[in-house]
Amino acid sequence: MTKDTSKSPFSLSRRQVLAAGAATALTMPFYARRGFAADTINVGVIQPLSGANAQFGINSRNGIQLVADEINAAGGIKSMGGAQINLIISDATSNPTQAATVAQRMMSQDGVCAVLGAFASSLTLAISEVTERRGVPLLTMSFSDQVTGRGFRNIFQVVSKASDLGSATITHTLDLARKAGDEITKIAIMYEDTAYGTSQAGGLRAAAEANGIEVVMDEAYPLGITDVSPLINQLRRTEAQAVFPVSYLNDSLLIIRNMRQQGINLPTIGGAAGYIIPDFRNGLGELADDVLSISPAAYDQAPEFTERFRERFGYFMVHEAQEHAACMGVLASALEKAGNADPRQLRDVIASETFDEGWATVMSGGKIKFDETGLNIHAVPMMVQWRGDELVTVAPAEYAKADAVWHSL
Amino acid sequence: MTRSNTLSIALPALVVLALIIAPLGLDPFGYTLRILCLMLLFCAMGQAWNIVGGLANQISLGHAAYFGIGAYSSTILFGSLGVSPLIGVFVGMFLAAIFALVLSLPTLRLKGHYFALATLAAGEVARVVANSWTSLTGGPVGISVPYRPDAGFWALQFQTVLPNYYLFLGAMILVSLVFWLVQTSAFGYRLRAIKENETAAEVIGVNTYRVKLHASILSAVLTAMLGTLYAQFQFFFDPDTIFGVATISVKMALIVILGGAGRLYGPWVGAAVIIPLEEMANSYLGNSIAGLSQFAYGVLLIVVILLNPRGLISLFESLRDRLKGRQRA
Repeated sequence: MTKDTSKSPFSLSRRQVLAAGAATALTMPFYARRGFAADTINVGVIQPLSGANAQFGINSRNGIQLVADEINAAGGIKSMGGAQINLIISDATSNPTQAATVAQRMMSQDGVCAVLGAFASSLTLAISEVTERRGVPLLTMSFSDQVTGRGFRNIFQVVSKASDLGSATITHTLDLARKAGDEITKIAIMYEDTAYGTSQAGGLRAAAEANGIEVVMDEAYPLGITDVSPLINQLRRTEAQAVFPVSYLNDSLLIIRNMRQQGINLPTIGGAAGYIIPDFRNGLGELADDVLSISPAAYDQAPEFTERFRERFGYFMVHEAQEHAACMGVLASALEKAGNADPRQLRDVIASETFDEGWATVMSGGKIKFDETGLNIHAVPMMVQWRGDELVTVAPAEYAKADAVWHSL
Repeated sequence: MTRSNTLSIALPALVVLALIIAPLGLDPFGYTLRILCLMLLFCAMGQAWNIVGGLANQISLGHAAYFGIGAYSSTILFGSLGVSPLIGVFVGMFLAAIFALVLSLPTLRLKGHYFALATLAAGEVARVVANSWTSLTGGPVGISVPYRPDAGFWALQFQTVLPNYYLFLGAMILVSLVFWLVQTSAFGYRLRAIKENETAAEVIGVNTYRVKLHASILSAVLTAMLGTLYAQFQFFFDPDTIFGVATISVKMALIVILGGAGRLYGPWVGAAVIIPLEEMANSYLGNSIAGLSQFAYGVLLIVVILLNPRGLISLFESLRDRLKGRQRA
């Protein structure tokens, strides 16, 4: 990221958090009796703040922090007498067992009314097993099909499912190619052999098959690969008309640089993650231009909100920050409507209402409504393309802010 | 019975009694109870490892393979066929025994570091297989134990953590009992002979290969059983966690080595120190500089090992010896 996280204005000390927690605990009985008191509402935020996904976790935390601070500055939750949102933020590390323990800690010690998190699907799934049993709502932007596929009542996902993202990647690509006069019949997929890469690639493969497209190259490579030239050589020998690389940051830089150095100008469609963060552009410079990627949300769809993120943190609102901000937006509206912070009542409000105010509107579709599995029925995957330092939505047509640049072979 | 013997029986009995009573005053959903659960589970895991790693000094860094086999067996059987984990646990134990047998054929002839490296690789192989065999294991995304809140004991899942706690406590006592029986039997003496000097053991007529094989299988079976219990406690896991080198294999070894290898109460002390330490590091530092909590945890471990290479339990013993010396004087 362009700005270091140490510049983040988030600077609550452990002591302050403890003090706030203690204050909340102390005032709880009074609050219950008096009904309307300017109080604090504890909201759990679990993110991978260390380890391989730390950057994404920090972005997510920034997004949530921004929304919470805005709500507090505007007078808190009005139906609860101006109660302030108090974020209880904790590190999930990259270990699902730890993530579940953290969730348990937040629920029993801090009495959080809801949990937001936790970027990686494995962490979110582990947390959901704890929140479901305790009846505390969990709002997430993890998009593995398992998240909403288990019949849980207390999980709410603001973005599309992984399988829908996979098929959207393929259909949008076909549409863009057709507009440029190309008919795609052969594609190449390369992905890192992590949970993220493998599941994304699986979605692409299924969607290609459904559209009658031949996958002429389907290669996994180990995380932390240092020499991608064999991969690119193999790609060169195929007749692929477009390439779909799925990876985090470092390998994405290597792949694009190596392809361009070898003069391969195939249309490249990344699988979110490393392909749509500012570091991608910082690492590649002009080589990043025209690279496409799927994205569960795009910041140019709601600039009046997302520009506030850029002002505060110094880089554009990456999709995980935007989606987590939407989670916080939904929670704030639900608190406003419920008039109290009881997790079970909150759950019922979140499950039944349509959220079309404030930060809940930054998701594609402009509003959020969850179906019985907890999936946001209004979410639409976006196709974005690099233009200079910015990402621009190019598909689907009704959301596009510019025409796609498509390099025909 | 000597005084020290009375003490070494009375103290653990007191600890077990305290563990039985402890949760009664705690929130049955709670965080403290969860930490205690993890402590008991990892203590039992350490004890299972102790049979091979402690008694015979065969440092295995691949025990996650057995743990994962146990977890996956019961979860897949329950998820796809509706077989109760109470039956699935035995399937997992059986499969782990087979895996231990197959793995032992080549690796038990290896010595020292080579054995450690070979077992490390075996654990990694299990992880890669679980990641790739998506149709069976659900692949890298992980697998969930289907949530059946009303199925009760048959599904081995509960609304609160309390029943899990007593399951873990029972498992911990069971595994410790098995370890004690092994330790005090002729079998245990053969294992210790191997630890002292494998060639000499061979010379005096110990079939070292067979003894190590039996110990490995016993250890694997117990580890697999604990894998099932873990799955029924955590309800979700992925290959990278369940077959993890740092999260499972090394942690099992670490708990034993830190507490006291080859000693009955070694894993008790090890788990009682490591699990809360790790949790406190995360709880107090998890919100500050990224990774500081793990760094602090690592530094503390290094300090403890440097101060007490024979394990923390030796601290208790030197204390006890000093007390005894004073009484005599």
